[in-house]
Amino acid sequence: MAQDKREALIEVKNLRVEFRIRGSRPFVAVRDVSLQVFKGENFGLVGETGSGKTTIGRAIVRINPTAGGVILFKGRRINGIIPKELDREVTHKIQMIFQDPMASLNERAKVDYIVSEGLYNTKNYRDEQEREAKVQKALLEVGLLPEFASRFPHEFSGGQRQRIGVARALIMEPEFIIADEPISSLDVSIRAQVLNLLSDLQKTKGLTYMFISHDLSVVRFIADRIGVIYKGQIVELAETEELFSAPVHPYTRSLLSAIPRPDPRVEREKRVLVYDPACHDYSKDKPRWAEVRKGHFVYGNETELALYGAVVTRPG
Amino acid sequence: MSEPILSARDVVVKFSLRGQVLTAIREASLDLYEGQTLAIVGESGAGKSVLTKTFLGMLDANGWVDSGSVMFEGKDLAKFATEREWLTIRGKKIAMVFQDPMTALNPLRTVGMQIHEVLELHQGLKGEAARRRTIEILGQVGIGDPGMRYSQYPHEFSGGMRQRVVIAIAVACNPRILICDEPTTALDVTIQAQILELIRALQTRLGLTIIYITHDLGVVANVADRVAVMYAGDIIEYGTAEEVFYDPQHPYTWALLSSLPQLGVRGRPLYSISGTPPNLFSEIRGDAFAPRNPRALKIDYVARPPYFKVTESHFARTWLLDSRAPKVEPPETIRAMRAKYVR
Amino acid sequence: MMSANERSALQAIEDQSLFTFAEYDEQAAERTGYSNYSYWGSTVRVFLKNKVAVALLLVMMSLLIFTIVQPLLPGQKSPTKIHNDPQTGIQIRNHKPGGEFWFGTNSIGQDLWARIWSGTRTSLLIALLVGIWEVLFGIVFGALWGYVRQLDALITEVYNVVSNVPNTILMMLLAYIMRPSFQTMVIAMCATGWLGMARFVRNQIIIIRDREYNLASRCLGTPTSRIITKNLLPYLVSVIVMRIALSIPGTIGWEVFLTYIGLGLPIHIPSLGNLVNEGRAAMMSPSLRYQLIFPAVVLSIITISFYIMGNAFADASDPRNHF
Repeated sequence: MAQDKREALIEVKNLRVEFRIRGSRPFVAVRDVSLQVFKGENFGLVGETGSGKTTIGRAIVRINPTAGGVILFKGRRINGIIPKELDREVTHKIQMIFQDPMASLNERAKVDYIVSEGLYNTKNYRDEQEREAKVQKALLEVGLLPEFASRFPHEFSGGQRQRIGVARALIMEPEFIIADEPISSLDVSIRAQVLNLLSDLQKTKGLTYMFISHDLSVVRFIADRIGVIYKGQIVELAETEELFSAPVHPYTRSLLSAIPRPDPRVEREKRVLVYDPACHDYSKDKPRWAEVRKGHFVYGNETELALYGAVVTRPG
Repeated sequence: MSEPILSARDVVVKFSLRGQVLTAIREASLDLYEGQTLAIVGESGAGKSVLTKTFLGMLDANGWVDSGSVMFEGKDLAKFATEREWLTIRGKKIAMVFQDPMTALNPLRTVGMQIHEVLELHQGLKGEAARRRTIEILGQVGIGDPGMRYSQYPHEFSGGMRQRVVIAIAVACNPRILICDEPTTALDVTIQAQILELIRALQTRLGLTIIYITHDLGVVANVADRVAVMYAGDIIEYGTAEEVFYDPQHPYTWALLSSLPQLGVRGRPLYSISGTPPNLFSEIRGDAFAPRNPRALKIDYVARPPYFKVTESHFARTWLLDSRAPKVEPPETIRAMRAKYVR
Repeated sequence: MMSANERSALQAIEDQSLFTFAEYDEQAAERTGYSNYSYWGSTVRVFLKNKVAVALLLVMMSLLIFTIVQPLLPGQKSPTKIHNDPQTGIQIRNHKPGGEFWFGTNSIGQDLWARIWSGTRTSLLIALLVGIWEVLFGIVFGALWGYVRQLDALITEVYNVVSNVPNTILMMLLAYIMRPSFQTMVIAMCATGWLGMARFVRNQIIIIRDREYNLASRCLGTPTSRIITKNLLPYLVSVIVMRIALSIPGTIGWEVFLTYIGLGLPIHIPSLGNLVNEGRAAMMSPSLRYQLIFPAVVLSIITISFYIMGNAFADASDPRNHF
């Protein structure tokens, strides 16, 4: 893939995020993460609880402050203290979809206000009529009826509420959307609806996504490239099929072996690999983030990297 | 085929809520066979937990079993009225593992004491004997260094470890039936895989019969010998795992399986079910799934389908199995799965 | 597994035409998720179910209306006028309730009935003013304290110092400096009352400020002021109303206490505090006890009513009680 020529919309370099609890040492949520998200692609960020994947997403939209490294949007630095117009541009161009549809909407406000909240902030409309028209358009685009604008969130189901959250992000006409576990809190039969919606919107509007999830089977279906995070450190990054057919880092392999498959015969034969961080010896030979094959990055020391580079593609 | 150890027939469970009556379980029937694992799968609100709570007499105060029977060891659990009767069953014959290990354990007592308590209550073990048995059980559920862990508090354990402790408490008294209510939903996928292995190992070693409640079809494929699919308070399909996955008959099961991303093809939209499950306050005429079913027949709105037999062990509540119904092709994903199944 | 009912139902269905496809309306499926639960509607409904609270609400409302209406009724006397016996010219002191004076007279011949209602008016007015101040200043301050992280550390330290100064001493100081009067009373109690409300609001806000919908608002660029007014405060309305309901009897209680230690309203302004104090002086002789009983009863009614109503409202506004 000639990805060197593709435009990197977002670049994260050696990102470090800490949380300060008064009086004690800061908690390092994100240790050292470097990645790129190319224009038009769907980038999957995968990790279990405590991996820091949500924190990375929130650092990009400037909800969490960073303690080290840079985040670039179209080549300009957007973390740390930035000028007001750049901040406004980030608000405009980068939006987020949250995980819990029950907690991500203001229960005491009408859907109309919730969806237009961003518009009120950026004043991106000429008059009341135009604003209403934009709200209606956004609701229709996510498959909801315009009459829903006068209702309150508690009148809707989980899937519908999640779609209101998508409408709220879309109305800003963003270029980049970070979807933080958008379907994990939804019922199984509703997940497909929201996934389809996100895919459609990407195609029709040329959006770029970062899809954060702990569910590898969902990410396999929707993402073009996947980054795997373990305890604040990115350990592997590759194109989706490459990652699934030739994973090299032991954590990725253990994660892949544990995915439940809806096929009884396959599940019976499954052998789960357990990842033990002690299998790495980083005392003498320090690890680094390196490209072992074209477009396939891994975190490891020299001995490990040499091994990874020689891995042959696993069948199926 | 042997006799089931627990048999539920036409169970109806109602709740009184906001001044109205909600019918949570509408004439559900199922059979549980000894030594096997039955997975009950369905969306939230389908009634999976409510149904199993009737086996333990743990319905909320505003709920009751309206009709039907649950036969276990010659007694009808649906007719139990006193706490005394339930105490002979709970923990001793039928035990339950809940979803959230954080709230299932008492944070103020050590882990050892909590298992100790159960042993004393049901098996009369005291003192040193109870302690030795507790340490033995902790080891059996895969907790390393059980002697030291015995005197630790729940907050000193990780999520997966805590769930192991909850399982230990549940199996401490060798119950005949273990009900697991979404025990791994809150856990990471690698920990989940380990817990599932543990449950299977315990089943073999202790001869347990397990009811496993979940909405995750991947987990069902892993643990289940038999599967019951629930929708809107009713069991709409029931069969062995292979039958339900490779040869499903009910349109809801088709929809559920086809909407899984694991079975989806990249670039093509996933099959999705529109709308939401019905309101259980009002009476439902006919098939509850009909309004969301593009392949619904007119009769689905008129009369409720009975269970049609597909094989000796496979039943489904759908008019499509009636001889008079037109031939309907299931979605592509299902047809692909059928190819794997040898009749 | 089929029951007898089902088998007969199966045979009874003769109509072949039922086995054809039905109309499928996807839009209709979309509309099924609607529920018409209303938070305030349910809150009111649960509150009205509490018969005691509703009865007391009616009692308080009647009391309030009456204190306003009473001076306009015919035949009412002035609360400060000293009544003299027309024949002897001596003051009608300590006259038992009955006849001309419905509640009797006090030790200098004033009509107790008029004094009670005037006193209740005054005390309620003080409580209301203090309550309003608590709401306006206490909430705004507490909201900023809770939401703006940079302010939290500083204000918490200041709060820890200030809140440890006993209210009594502060009020005594203010009363001494400013001389007893209606305004002094109000100012003194405002100065100490808002702290509790501010602390309470701050704690509530800390609980909800990091919920996802607030993060979403930040992501959308919503300024702090609008996040506080549209996202946070609407959630706190019910707890704030409850606090106000409980602060009113609290204020009156403080007023009575201050009067007792001599820092209350001047004697020529009747208030429940003054009345209770006068009554206390007459308490020892059984024939004069009525002078204490009447104001004490009114005070108790107010305190108990607001307390019960406040708690009933708090319970009613908890969504978990809405079934």
